[in-house]
Amino acid sequence: MIGAALAYPAAALAQESARVYRIFWLSTQSQPDPFLDGFREGLRARGYVEGKNVVLELHYAIGNPQALREVASELRRGKVDLAVSSGPATRAMTAVEEVPVLFALSGDPVELGLVKSVGQPGGNFTGSTFLSLELAGKRVELLKEVLPNLRKLAVLSNANHPGEQSEWRATKEAAEKLSIVPHYVPFSGADELDNALGLAGEAHADALLVFPDVLTMVHRGKIADFAIAHRLPSMFGWSEYCDAGGLLSYGANQRATYFSLAIYADRILRGERPANLPVVQPTKFELVVNLRTAELLGIDLDKSSVLFRANRVIE
Amino acid sequence: MIRPRRSLFMKYFVTLFVAVVTPLMLGSATEAWFAFRDNRLYLNEILQVEARSAADRIQAFTDGIRDQLGWVVQFPWTQGEDDRRRIDGLRLLQQVPAIVSLSMVDPTGTERVFVSRVSMNRTGRGADMSADPAVVGARANRVWYGPVHYRRDSEPYMRIAVAGNRAAAGIVVADINLKLIWDIIAAIKIGDTGHALVVDGSGRLIAHPDISLVLRSGAGAGDFNRLKSVVSEANGSAVSTTGEDGEPVVALAVRAANVDWTVIAEQPVLEAFESIRAALWRSLILIAIGIVFAFVLAYWRASRMWGPIRQLEDGVERIGMGQFDHRITIQSRDELEQLAIRFNQMAEELGASQQKSERINRLKQFLPPQVAELVEHSDQRLLDAQRREVVAIFGDLRGFTAFTARAEPDAILAVLRQYYEAIGIVTARHEATLIRFAGDGVMVLLNAPVTCESPAHRGIRLAIDMQAAVQSLANSWNAMGCAIGFGVGIAMGPATVGTLGWQGRLDYTAIGNVVNLASRLCDLAKDAQILVDPAVTGHVKDSIALASIGERSIKGYDHALEIFAVGRIYAPISPMLVDSASGRSCLTHHGADEQTGRNAVGRAVQITPEPDSTASSSVIRRNHALV
Repeated sequence: MIGAALAYPAAALAQESARVYRIFWLSTQSQPDPFLDGFREGLRARGYVEGKNVVLELHYAIGNPQALREVASELRRGKVDLAVSSGPATRAMTAVEEVPVLFALSGDPVELGLVKSVGQPGGNFTGSTFLSLELAGKRVELLKEVLPNLRKLAVLSNANHPGEQSEWRATKEAAEKLSIVPHYVPFSGADELDNALGLAGEAHADALLVFPDVLTMVHRGKIADFAIAHRLPSMFGWSEYCDAGGLLSYGANQRATYFSLAIYADRILRGERPANLPVVQPTKFELVVNLRTAELLGIDLDKSSVLFRANRVIE
Repeated sequence: MIRPRRSLFMKYFVTLFVAVVTPLMLGSATEAWFAFRDNRLYLNEILQVEARSAADRIQAFTDGIRDQLGWVVQFPWTQGEDDRRRIDGLRLLQQVPAIVSLSMVDPTGTERVFVSRVSMNRTGRGADMSADPAVVGARANRVWYGPVHYRRDSEPYMRIAVAGNRAAAGIVVADINLKLIWDIIAAIKIGDTGHALVVDGSGRLIAHPDISLVLRSGAGAGDFNRLKSVVSEANGSAVSTTGEDGEPVVALAVRAANVDWTVIAEQPVLEAFESIRAALWRSLILIAIGIVFAFVLAYWRASRMWGPIRQLEDGVERIGMGQFDHRITIQSRDELEQLAIRFNQMAEELGASQQKSERINRLKQFLPPQVAELVEHSDQRLLDAQRREVVAIFGDLRGFTAFTARAEPDAILAVLRQYYEAIGIVTARHEATLIRFAGDGVMVLLNAPVTCESPAHRGIRLAIDMQAAVQSLANSWNAMGCAIGFGVGIAMGPATVGTLGWQGRLDYTAIGNVVNLASRLCDLAKDAQILVDPAVTGHVKDSIALASIGERSIKGYDHALEIFAVGRIYAPISPMLVDSASGRSCLTHHGADEQTGRNAVGRAVQITPEPDSTASSSVIRRNHALV
């Protein structure tokens, strides 16, 4: 619904425009990039064809926002119509004022100083937020509901992510409220993931909570398998994790979010100012449950309210 | 010729033009006016329907939430059922996507259960909400709709509180995300670009097809209060105003009563009146085509009228100038063509009549009027050349040349006039043919072109009367001192008669020896004498006294002819004239030699009314013919 709503006025892309738009895609993560796929899908839906009327220039600087600052300066010089920054890369872009910048964040863009307010960004930045921070406590609560005896919770987090600290704080508070001891396992970059998983496995936790992030997203299969192997009920932020074998996920649809980002890209390319495009907040949050994983782990979900609350059950 | 200032052409043209264009314009204008009115009514209806439908669906949206909330306040609160209530709340969230969170308040006003999609759930004794306007409002009216607020200055939210049937059932307060009304509003399409929007009581935007506007509205963006007040003032009928994007729109407002919101349906003026514009253009094009058509038609009709009239006018002018052969060609298959046919007939008849009168006039030159008419009316061929027995009479004044040398021109002309008149009268009386006057000479013919009985008798009587008439004139002239006499010669015989001449100058004449003989006899005749040839004499000697004057040799005749003279009726004139006659001073102008012929020409020219070369040459030919 949000995708369609943002697309107003819902006219198809002006095919008469012979111009080829140049879009920079900046990310501190590595490929494959599920966010990029969602964004590309959104562009295609708006009538853009890569190489014909739009060129996506991908700039990846794995775990190194500093390297992206050079790209940012190139942005100012070159004829770039739009920059799209995913995750931490947005940090490198804060100084850019000449080019509209779209972002997709888990955290609060106002807190990060990217926009003046959610309703009126007021500058050259706008985009989407997943509201992950607000949902952090909800995820702990849902885990507790499924596992009433939850005492120790391993929290796996890519520390190299904007707003990660806030998310951790919110998680910690929620856990404490529910008498759960959180075990924080931060890591930076893919190289440290295996090590972090090892640490989480050794924590003797009752469950595993993984912060939604492009890195954990890319390695979701590995993480889900790890959780099953260690008989850890797992909670994630996006449904894709559950498809890969995670037990639970609760959060906004990231594909829809990037899809809507592409719609904003379209509106900006057509001349609208990012200052007037409100930051998009998700309206729907999906609760996805993987029953197969639950069976593997021997968890009886019928005792909790999770099943009737689930938007999707993977059987 | 001066043309009239307001021609028939212009009158016809203007009348026809106006006759075609006026009804066309009137028709188009009326049609356009009615089309505009209908369009406006239709637009009003469409906007009304759409706004009403949106308002109803919004009301259904809020009523639906209200009804769903009613489920959780059916039973009175009892101890230890918080968890059951929590499950109710969670199920309600599952059921109604728009509800973001729920607070269940017990009869004392304390929050007992809180469930949310985003925040963590709470159960157990919570905050005291008895002073919360939602709780107060629901207690008072069972249902309470809160004001719209924008969370984080962006997303529109509203609280709805519902109280149970009894106070013991408690109250449920739900936080509603109004972004979900977008589905309702976005589904409304008025034309291509028309849409509906919803504003709350204070003019803040709640729903709009462009959700960005709504999300911005919390920060005070947009100009919807003005739009709302302008459109609301119209009280349910469409008004033209400026839309939120500054474009002119036609808008209509309908209130959603339960939540005190206003649904505005609007359509850009440009689009709303597009069909009218199209109709107006069609009308204009029709009018333009009509005008061109009327112009062409009027011009053509007027030309068809005016052209023949000009032709007729021109024809009349030409006829007036004597061009009787002018004909008019009009093929309009109407009265004008008839008129042209009549005109041509008239021209033809005029021409014929003119020719006839010309012929009669010509005949009258040498025939008495009654004979001329007779000739004209009886047989045209009378004038054709033919050979027949004619009597030729020549008369000639004596002493006239001497007289002209002395006398003033006026006196000469006066003498000739009297002389011609006398000859003319006598000739007419005897119904003879007066061939011509030539100076003081005259030639008269009998039995041609009209035959008569005993031409010799007639001729001799004519000669006698002629002699008598001229003699009586001569007496009066001589009394004034002129010595003028008159001699006549008359002969009979076959001659060729017919009309001769060139172009308009045609004369009837006779050619033959008889003419020469009569002329010679005239030359020979003395004053008051009528010399007669043997042929005439043979015819008339029984009734008229003729005396032979002996044989004379006549030029053109091998032997001498015996000449007779009519017995003298009048006393001889004065001796002077006799002397002068014997001196042949004035009797030689018909002489055989060319010199005297030319003299005769000279004199003839003096009395010819057209002194041009044509006239002269015709006279010359006449004289040659005589010779």
